[in-house]
Amino acid sequence: MEVLNYAWLIVALPFVAAGVIAAFGRLMPLKGAEVGISAIAIAWVVAVMIGWQTFVNGPVEAVEQVFWSIPLGGNILIEFGQYVDGLTAMMLVLVTTVSFMVQLYSREYMHGEDRFTYFFAMLSLFTFSMLVLVVAPNTLQALVGWELVGVCSYLLIGYYWLEKTNSDAANKAFLTTKFGDIGLVVGIIVLSVGVSAHTDNVFSIRETTELAAAGMLSQPTIVLGCLLIFLGAMAKSGQMPLHVWLPDAMAGPTPVSALIHAATMVTAGVFLIARLYPVFAQSLAVMNTMAIVGTITLFFAGFVAIVQDDIKKVLAYSTISQLGYMVAALGVGGYTAGIFHLFTHGFFKALLFLGSGSLIHAVHSNNMSDMGGMRKYMPTTFVTFVIGSLALAGFPLFAGFFSKDEVLVSAQIWANNGRFTGSLVFWLGLAGAMVTTFYMGRSVFLIFFGTHRGVAHTPEDVEAEAEAGTLDDEAEMEDLDQAAHDADGADLTQEEVVAAGHDDDHAPDHGGHHLPHESGWQILTALVVLAALSFPVGLMGGFLWDEVGGSVERNFETWTATHLLEEVSYPFLADYHRVDLEELHGGGEGEGHAEEGAGDHADEGAGEGEAAGLAGTDHTTLAAGSDLVLATEAEGAEGGVENRVLHGAPEFHLNVFLLALGGFLLAVGGAWMIYGRSRPMRDPLLHMGGFTTLLENKYYFDDIGYRGVVVPVRDWLAPAASWSSNVILDGIVKNTGGAVKRLADVTYFTIDQKVIDGGINGGAFSAAWISSKLKRLQSGDVQRYAGAMLAGVIVLVVVFAAAR
Amino acid sequence: MTSLDLLFILFAVITGGGAVLTVTSRNLVHAALFLAVSLAGIGMVFLLLQADFVAMVQAVVYLGAITVLFLFGLMLTRAPIGREALDSRNRPMAMVVSTALFGVLVVLIVRAFGSFPAVTPRSSSVGDLGMAIFSSWVFPFEVISMMLLAALVGAILLARRESGDSGDERAVTPIREALPDRGEVEAEERRAELAAGDGGAR
Amino acid sequence: MTLIGPLVLGAFLFCVGLYGVMARRNSVLVLMSVELMLNAVNINLVAFQNLKWPDDPAATGQVFALFVVVVAAAEVGVGLAIVFNMFRNRASINIDDADMMRW
Repeated sequence: MEVLNYAWLIVALPFVAAGVIAAFGRLMPLKGAEVGISAIAIAWVVAVMIGWQTFVNGPVEAVEQVFWSIPLGGNILIEFGQYVDGLTAMMLVLVTTVSFMVQLYSREYMHGEDRFTYFFAMLSLFTFSMLVLVVAPNTLQALVGWELVGVCSYLLIGYYWLEKTNSDAANKAFLTTKFGDIGLVVGIIVLSVGVSAHTDNVFSIRETTELAAAGMLSQPTIVLGCLLIFLGAMAKSGQMPLHVWLPDAMAGPTPVSALIHAATMVTAGVFLIARLYPVFAQSLAVMNTMAIVGTITLFFAGFVAIVQDDIKKVLAYSTISQLGYMVAALGVGGYTAGIFHLFTHGFFKALLFLGSGSLIHAVHSNNMSDMGGMRKYMPTTFVTFVIGSLALAGFPLFAGFFSKDEVLVSAQIWANNGRFTGSLVFWLGLAGAMVTTFYMGRSVFLIFFGTHRGVAHTPEDVEAEAEAGTLDDEAEMEDLDQAAHDADGADLTQEEVVAAGHDDDHAPDHGGHHLPHESGWQILTALVVLAALSFPVGLMGGFLWDEVGGSVERNFETWTATHLLEEVSYPFLADYHRVDLEELHGGGEGEGHAEEGAGDHADEGAGEGEAAGLAGTDHTTLAAGSDLVLATEAEGAEGGVENRVLHGAPEFHLNVFLLALGGFLLAVGGAWMIYGRSRPMRDPLLHMGGFTTLLENKYYFDDIGYRGVVVPVRDWLAPAASWSSNVILDGIVKNTGGAVKRLADVTYFTIDQKVIDGGINGGAFSAAWISSKLKRLQSGDVQRYAGAMLAGVIVLVVVFAAAR
Repeated sequence: MTSLDLLFILFAVITGGGAVLTVTSRNLVHAALFLAVSLAGIGMVFLLLQADFVAMVQAVVYLGAITVLFLFGLMLTRAPIGREALDSRNRPMAMVVSTALFGVLVVLIVRAFGSFPAVTPRSSSVGDLGMAIFSSWVFPFEVISMMLLAALVGAILLARRESGDSGDERAVTPIREALPDRGEVEAEERRAELAAGDGGAR
Repeated sequence: MTLIGPLVLGAFLFCVGLYGVMARRNSVLVLMSVELMLNAVNINLVAFQNLKWPDDPAATGQVFALFVVVVAAAEVGVGLAIVFNMFRNRASINIDDADMMRW
């Protein structure tokens, strides 16, 4: 167990590295990158050792140590220390791995940037901040890490602060998350007030969760505290109303985006919820809030990703959507599912971001419309990006498949417990998975297939060339314009456009016009490593773990579970009985379940019973690994009430698998139909929305009408018939066409323009109207602010006094 | 009711009255003088509580230095007189909030310490206080002295004329002209509001 | 002497100071009101020290009262400097004229 005592080393190394880089980085041969990379490499080794230790030991008692405590008077201490258990170890591995890869990658990606040294110092500091949060034994240290993460992300998003939009984006990110932080701070205080009735160590996470699990905290404390903390998590983890900063955060350099989206910033909220999960699980209201917010996020964010052209924006909305999955999973009791998805998502989203960075590096543009055909130029990037996409889309055997399925399974079990949020998460999660697959398919097809679309002619490049004096840029631009006109008129391919652009190119080998080429070894190493990791991280939590040689007793679930989580129960599920447990943990008690299922839950529906039975009979051995951990629960089960926190062992649900796979194939098929098969000059989704299919139908309708009506009439009847028959038939045809057109018009003007656009515009206008009224609150009158603040204090005092 | 209590009530009334007059007086200089009265009363309360050294510091720093600083401040800025100039339109809100806060505080104090027995404060020696400062509190003491130094340097930097000025009074821009984009209409509105509010107050 | 007397006096001074901070337009008056609030805290500190914990060898209450006095002095210095600056730049020291940070 000794290695667990050295978790602080992982935290300290990036901090020291940040200091050293800031102080001496400019003097070093690699401008400080070597310090950051080697520090994080050592930290990574330690993290992996800790991860391995906790992994092979299964759910162990957490190692809690306090290194430094500052008395605040009374019984309150600020303590800085470490709290290492499976969850911590999992996060340590995730954060250090991603950070390691990102730094290695940045060494090449950021090469030649003005503030290269500063960038590396900030990367190290960012990693350090997140690690402070991860190892926090109490909520105060977590808060310190949380805020440090916010500050570092602000500095990194605003890295290119010379452009106003970028510093605006940094401000937006900082202020949005800061809004949630208010909730977090107040929530922590509320919880600590509740805890203070029972123990001196009011901020300790261990004490708080144990008290909550023992049912010692009052329900209002839990609901208020958890909802407020959840507000903080919503802002940090980009849940729907507060996700606005996340797409804008793309203003930062791509490695930063990868770090923010995969490991450090956005996972902080989910991690905190998971850390305090025994508390959250005490209240149905809190769980439902999480489930609903998560579901809304995962569903609607995915749709936005469909119409983005900026590859980083696609990935950003995808991240929001995936975070929605995590939160929704936690909201339906899927503790393991949520953090498992967090874990796998960290790897493949980092991979995707780094891959997109590699592309951007090559073509100097974020827009997918400037890419195309990249498969030929960047084969390694192509393969790794596709692996990442498949993992994100949940193709079987890739990481996202296992975790997303586990989320869906959790939701289904929750639904079987009679909770409507379970069904909500399940069906919308399934639809969301299809949307995910669709937009990732779209991205892959747009970027890697088809032909290259004149990337060398982005405005920056033309400018650069103009500056270099190698090109008469006006002539070149005219050429291009002319070529583009030709293309519109004569239906030239993009290749010809580019070729036309090249015709008058007198300088044979100037820099701007080379085709995109593969990135260097540091970028590729990061990509390949992350792509390779995308497999084992999924397998270790999946139901195939022992099939591929993993120990059946050691999987992701046993890794991150704690004793406490097994003792905690859902008070609001008290009236649901034994069968629920076996729903949760399936496998081992499969046969027993089949009987009980027939008895107690006959109303569950045939499909579910069948699937559960299938799981029971076919996969007894698969889930047997969970017996050790779950033995205590099984014993407790005899007592009657079975309402443990869901952290079930991985299990196989055929119906979920088939639905997910079907959705995947459907979505990939759709993406292929639209983007893969033939390359549209204009992206139909951007111009027609849901009308793509309608258009196809219309096309067939015309075709059938032509062959079935017009041809026979013209060939057989017309020679013999008078003009009147022509008039009638023409009338029919014309009216049919008119009716179709009118139908389309009605659909367009009423449904699309009024209902859909009206709804969206109405939302926007009402938001603008409300904010125009609300902004008056920001009167600039400091005295009024002071008055409002004190009035709030008075109200709080009265409320707390009345509550005692 | 001992004589100590009676003395305390006397000084408490002086202190409170001075404070109230400070925040309601229509004359700035009078307000500063009432503040001095109130601070002196507080010093006497310290004496009654047998905190001699704190009372001394109160007299020297507050009565001696800070009050004079305020008077200088009043002299160096314009010192207008009258309710319009001195009270903002937040007066009713301030009244409500501070009264409510006082009520809440009194209830809390009485509930928390109402049963605390009456004691006679013992005299504490300045020597003990000095020992405490330079043994238990020596680090905070040094820190706070650094802070004082920093604050004074900061105050000098803030208050000093910017370098490059010849010493002529700079052309000052009245605030409304400095912000042309606000629009004159709005300024008018606010003036009207102000007048209406004050009319009501009278 | 009961503990309640000084505490209520402190609360009263604090609320009066608060009223001054919120109701006064003139920045110098606002600073004065802040002084009243700080003194209210001092009364509390000294009262707790001398009536409730007279045996504390570290004399926490009185020492803190002294620290508060120091902080108050620094605050007045910086505050008046800011007021002078505002007067020089804006020809007004009314707090409600300094509302540039609004919508």
